Amino acid sequence: MALKLFALLLCASLPSLAQSQKAFPYEYTQEDLPNGLRLVTVPTDYANIVATYIVVRAGARNEVEEGHTGFAHLFEHLMFRGTPKMTSEQYNQTLNRIGASSNASTSDDWTIYHTTYSKEDLETVVAMEADRFQNLKFAEAEFKTESLAVLGEYNKNSASPFSKMEEVVRDTAYDRHTYKHTAMGFLRDIQAMPQQYEYSLKFFDRYYRPEYTTILVVGDVEAKRVRALVDKYWGAWKRGSYSPDIPVEPAQAGPRTGHVDWPSPTLPLVSIAFKAPAYDDSTRETAALDALANLAFGSTSELYQQLVVKEQRADAIFASAPENRDAGLFEIMARAKKPADLDYVRERILETVQTFRDKPVDGGKLDTVRRRLRYQVALSMDNSDTIAQIVASYLSLKRTPETMNALYEQYAKLTPEDLQQAARKYLTENHRTIVTLTGPAASGPGGAK
Amino acid sequence: MKAALLLLTALSAGAQMRTVELPGKSPLVTFRIVFTSGSADDPTGQEGIAALTAQMLSDSGTKALTYQQLTEAMFPMAAGVSAQVDKEMTTFSGATHVDNLDAYYHLLRDLLLDPGWRAEDFRRVKDDLLNNIKVGLRGNNDEELGKEVLYEAIYAGTSYGHFNGGTVSSLEKLTLDDVKAFYKSRYTQARLILGVAGGYPPAFLAAMKKDFTRLPKEGAAAPKRIATPVATGNRVVIVEKDSRSVAYSIGYPIDVTRAHADYAALLLVSTYMGVHRNSSGVLYDRMREKRGLNYGDYTYIEYFPRGMFLMEPQANLARWSQIFQVWIRPVEPPTAKFALRLALFELDKLRTKGMTSEAFERTREFLGKNVNVLTRTKRAELGYAIDSAFYGTKPYNEFLKAQLGKLTLADVNRVIRKYIRTESLTIAVVTRNGEEFKRQLLSDDASPMTYNSAKPAEILAEDKLVEKWPLKLKAEEIKVKPVSEVFQ
Repeated sequence: MALKLFALLLCASLPSLAQSQKAFPYEYTQEDLPNGLRLVTVPTDYANIVATYIVVRAGARNEVEEGHTGFAHLFEHLMFRGTPKMTSEQYNQTLNRIGASSNASTSDDWTIYHTTYSKEDLETVVAMEADRFQNLKFAEAEFKTESLAVLGEYNKNSASPFSKMEEVVRDTAYDRHTYKHTAMGFLRDIQAMPQQYEYSLKFFDRYYRPEYTTILVVGDVEAKRVRALVDKYWGAWKRGSYSPDIPVEPAQAGPRTGHVDWPSPTLPLVSIAFKAPAYDDSTRETAALDALANLAFGSTSELYQQLVVKEQRADAIFASAPENRDAGLFEIMARAKKPADLDYVRERILETVQTFRDKPVDGGKLDTVRRRLRYQVALSMDNSDTIAQIVASYLSLKRTPETMNALYEQYAKLTPEDLQQAARKYLTENHRTIVTLTGPAASGPGGAK
Repeated sequence: MKAALLLLTALSAGAQMRTVELPGKSPLVTFRIVFTSGSADDPTGQEGIAALTAQMLSDSGTKALTYQQLTEAMFPMAAGVSAQVDKEMTTFSGATHVDNLDAYYHLLRDLLLDPGWRAEDFRRVKDDLLNNIKVGLRGNNDEELGKEVLYEAIYAGTSYGHFNGGTVSSLEKLTLDDVKAFYKSRYTQARLILGVAGGYPPAFLAAMKKDFTRLPKEGAAAPKRIATPVATGNRVVIVEKDSRSVAYSIGYPIDVTRAHADYAALLLVSTYMGVHRNSSGVLYDRMREKRGLNYGDYTYIEYFPRGMFLMEPQANLARWSQIFQVWIRPVEPPTAKFALRLALFELDKLRTKGMTSEAFERTREFLGKNVNVLTRTKRAELGYAIDSAFYGTKPYNEFLKAQLGKLTLADVNRVIRKYIRTESLTIAVVTRNGEEFKRQLLSDDASPMTYNSAKPAEILAEDKLVEKWPLKLKAEEIKVKPVSEVFQ
């Protein structure tokens, strides 16, 4: 497919972003290999650099067995442990020689392995990645050592009350679905991980398969050459047969609450979370909730202006709508400046939720959100690496970059009534979980007098 | 894309602003407006005023618009202005789509040239800075806390000797009038570097330069350039707080900056030992991969704040003095002493054995190619170009590749002997039970490792040396400090 840029590299005199049609402006190829592996190639005009993102649709959601949380994330670590052809030292040294920037991350629904490097090293990277995805081999002793690095990761996160809040909000909000735990997993499961070598082999065998995987290559490349290399190195990978039975979350019967006593001085936090629908770009619900998060709780919202700017009783408020494969959480989090103001802050948030259920938003304000979302994504796509990063998140949902265009088309169609309907349907008491966190009672913020 | 053009107007005698421009065809326009004034300019007793002034400009209203109106104006453009304050530089950065260039630029200009100076904005911004110390650092981030405590200890008594964000007691005293006076004397044309990159029209920069001539030409004299302190003896600062694990930062001052002849060689050495968040470094391999001690271990020769959130270094943190730093990510308390000994053991191995030819060649290849990855965005390219202007070096990419090309293994091993040491170190530790930890550090007792799996004989034999590695610390060199006193 010929390389062509739709909007991003045009001069100012040409049509503006607001007039352009597609949120993802690049032409790309999307191809399926016979084994079920999908390849998406996005040639860009950014010279010399290539970003390869390998999206495995296995995350915390796939950890369906009791006592085995955190395994998707553990693989993010184990995948660097070598193959019969290439030891982990050789793998690292090769990445080193090619000057690559490389890492991986895990979320509810996916694990993504990414490498950014110079175009002349394309074949090296495609071949090395193919080798470890098909032939990863780690001994039990290495497995045990790596599980300690995961505990180290938990430890470094544990200094932050926000990490603890995330754990408690999920644990309180869900009963059965695997979103009950974070991608790190429950601490007790991380501590027991060293004894789970056999289970780890099973996990790899289930999910590190072509039908779970999409390779995304963005940058100074030709699609035909990428396809030829992927055929050569990934073509023999065998399709698997496992399909997880993700536990269905029963309907929530009433509002829930939780509390965290944080051992050291900190400012109090409140999180108000509502069970929201699974990602859906065939309706306007996902887009409506995202717009609602911006309008009701963003920096221009009445609530933010009241609590953060005028009254200055909170120093942060943020809200996020989920983009998950199953029903995730619409979450509003705020940090009060004084413990005594925490109830006040919580009540103002709940009142705001009620207001958005009662009245449709102003159409002009909805337009500003639409414009913001378009410019936000355009401003992010200023190099091949971040283009890949953005596309990869959509690939994890529906395995195609068209997901992004479909969602933005729904944003374009949103009406004030859509937002009100979404608020009425999902931001209800029966979907709600409130968790608070406070430091030791005797001290104010940071031990101040 | 056509190679970007770098135009740098040299600073002539007197008080001219400098510009760094990278025009291109991108529909995005990126700004970096830098004042060569930072926390080293904070007068004694007014620690944090540079940070408070910068944040007062970036997070408040203008004369014409309240903060609320300004936020509303920025919102549909998905734009904003962020401020970064380091010892020598204050940087205001932001980006816009070219559709919104005029509207965005006018807001940015007004923020910097026509600040609103409202009392309610001042109260909010000052609170944010105080909470950044009391909650952000002391409460929520043991690793960043350790790093900043390390810098404070190494540079004590110099213009670099306080946290960029100030101290609680000094911030509490600062008034809006203090901030206005600081702005007037430091935000001058003589200290200004206007950086802009992307698809702006040809006449844009000239108009921008004209606007900024409204700043005074000159103001307060620049502070005397810092001389790198000479460390004699070890210093350990144990910050005591209720933590699950033990966080370390270790370092000592070096006089190597990008303007120094040994920069590329020392960068190569540091990259070999532990380039940030990369799995190829020696410390990462020996501490995490081989022994599972923690999440990662790295070394640095330039200031690298917010490393736990960033994968790559940020620009516009140029300094006239740096430290060689070892970052040991949190370890479980029972293995904490062993981890410290192992880090020092590895430094000693580097010092006495140097690098092999294979490691030298591989690391040189890494740096020569990775610099393209680091400078892949216009934002980064512009930032690096401004730093090159500050140090008086050629554009970073070209400069580093040229320096690397000239290096030999002998140069690198000479630099190792010159700069790598295991004595006269400063060690910052964040842990619970500070006094008990001090006793452990003072004891010569072995701190043997036990593993949850079989280890190769090579590792076990090395452990026998590491577990008794002499720390050579004296009681008077170790201070235990409750976290509530840090940056107080």
